[in-house]
Amino acid sequence: MAKTKAILIDITKCIGCRSCEHACKEIHGFPPDSEQKLSPTAFTIVEERGDRFVRRMCMNCQDPACASACLVGALKKTELGPVTYDSSKCIGCRYCLVACPFNVPRYQWSKLVPFVTKCDMCYERQAKGQLPACVEACPVQASIAGWRDEILEEAQRRVLLDPKYVKRIYGSEEAGGTSVFFISDVPFEKLGFNTVPNQPMPVLTANALGDVPTVVLVGGSLLAGVYWITNRRKQVAMAEAREKAAGSTSGESERS
Amino acid sequence: MSGNHFPKITLWRTIVVLIFAAGAYAAYARFALGFQQSTNLVDAQPWGLWVGLGTLGGVGISAGGFAIAAAVYLLGFERYRQVVRAAVLLSFLGYLTVVVGMMYELGLPWRIWHPIVMWNRKSVLFEVSWCVMLYTSVLTLEFSPALVEKIPWVRIRQTYLSWHHEILIGLVLVGAVLSSLHQSFLGGLYLLAKGKVDPLWYSQYLPSLFYLSAVPAGLAATIMVVFLSMRSLNARVSPSVLTEMSQVIAPLLYVYALFRGIDLFTHGGWSYMWMWREETLLFWLEIGLFVLAPIILLSREKIRTNPQYLYWTCSLVVMGFISNRLNVAVTAFQRSSGFYYVPKWTEFALTFATVAAAAVAFHYAVLYLDILPKAAPRKAQLMQRVATA
Repeated sequence: MAKTKAILIDITKCIGCRSCEHACKEIHGFPPDSEQKLSPTAFTIVEERGDRFVRRMCMNCQDPACASACLVGALKKTELGPVTYDSSKCIGCRYCLVACPFNVPRYQWSKLVPFVTKCDMCYERQAKGQLPACVEACPVQASIAGWRDEILEEAQRRVLLDPKYVKRIYGSEEAGGTSVFFISDVPFEKLGFNTVPNQPMPVLTANALGDVPTVVLVGGSLLAGVYWITNRRKQVAMAEAREKAAGSTSGESERS
Repeated sequence: MSGNHFPKITLWRTIVVLIFAAGAYAAYARFALGFQQSTNLVDAQPWGLWVGLGTLGGVGISAGGFAIAAAVYLLGFERYRQVVRAAVLLSFLGYLTVVVGMMYELGLPWRIWHPIVMWNRKSVLFEVSWCVMLYTSVLTLEFSPALVEKIPWVRIRQTYLSWHHEILIGLVLVGAVLSSLHQSFLGGLYLLAKGKVDPLWYSQYLPSLFYLSAVPAGLAATIMVVFLSMRSLNARVSPSVLTEMSQVIAPLLYVYALFRGIDLFTHGGWSYMWMWREETLLFWLEIGLFVLAPIILLSREKIRTNPQYLYWTCSLVVMGFISNRLNVAVTAFQRSSGFYYVPKWTEFALTFATVAAAAVAFHYAVLYLDILPKAAPRKAQLMQRVATA
């Protein structure tokens, strides 16, 4: 993949002002009141965990489970990094919600024409060279954005140089790597972060899907082979029966 | 005719009408009020009863059609020929319920055709949707002679039937391959949810486990509908066929139990089998109904040879199978999602109404089409009974 965008969220720096939440709501035209959980009208939220503030948002995985799950390809990993959602393709199966290891996508359960909703790292803004709205709004640079390799380097630099940090960058390996990284001075488990397998999730289904040609070829030819044998047997049995009949009543069969 | 045109009110008719009425309200709730009013689904449990029972259960129970058709037409088990149409009809109606189920299960059902033109080859669900589409078409064709042979125009009938005869073997073969693929891929759907599915149910071999469990469940369901048709719809099948079918189910259950056991042992699910948790209880309920009880019961000659006992044993297999699918779809997610999902009554109502519609269709198909060999007409039997009394 070419150079992709990423966001680093430094939990030690967040002051809980919720400017990111508000900026996100404003840019999407959602009602401005703060929400406790991610919702169809809150693509990012700030949670209080003890005396720390933890921002939640879509991790925009490098190899997203949701995009591999989506049967019509409505969810897509863009060249630029964000995972986007094309609502015109979606059929509302909600497999993306089942698949997401971070439990991010939200469904519009109350709507009669419901869609999936989630953060796409402000794909349109980033494509124009602008920062994601939440990052731009952060007054203390607890969230920063940039090219993924540079952002990851910055995260590593901070974690290595400052002993207060937990020696881990959440998002660098989770689900095979994401576009959103968290660094913290409190263990991530205590902040409510999911333990996610360190492998790209689509690998889990790729193997099974890889078996399709084998099943079709081996299974198909096996069945065809068995059919050929049973059919042949039937024919032989019928021919034998006919011969027998012909032998016992040869006079009659000659006439007919 | 006595001139009494109003259908007789019987217990079963009353039940079916009530189910339909409840289903009609539930359909109104689903389409006019939305998911929130008609289901207890939430983001943490986006798939519930409709997927677990309707789709996973419905497709699995319908596995009898491909298995029996393959046994008769490809493997040469001629004895099963008398039940092959019933098996195919059961599958056909089963898949129709799944397709109808999609209409209320999907958020945007009017886009159900999207997978035909919008492809994502990396998606297991994409493969499932294509297999289900194709296999439903195959089943329609496989079943079609039962309808076509009732057409009064001889030319059309004969042309169609001889054409059908030409393609039948191909259909059955394609049907078996398609079924094998999507029966297993329904399990494959959950591979992606690693870390969210309880260890008692998560396995990289979920596809194989789904396949291995669907076939005995499909056969058990076939035995059940054949038995019911014999009891209430005047069908006459030699009971020994049912016995023979049950003798196939038992070894299939052994294979499944062995495979599941080895899998639990090697994947670390073993330790969870003895923990005091609700999940564990439901796991044992599933294992008890689907594997343990049927294996013990089917080992007894008395059960195998008595259609009535066999029917009840098969209903255990089917219930155990349904428990398995519901466990995978619901129970296995409870811990990770932190949400305790209990379906809303409208969810039950819609699923039951769909199944009831299929049951009614099956009933009339057996009565008016040539699905199963029939005993002497009822009237004659009644006369006989009167005469002997």
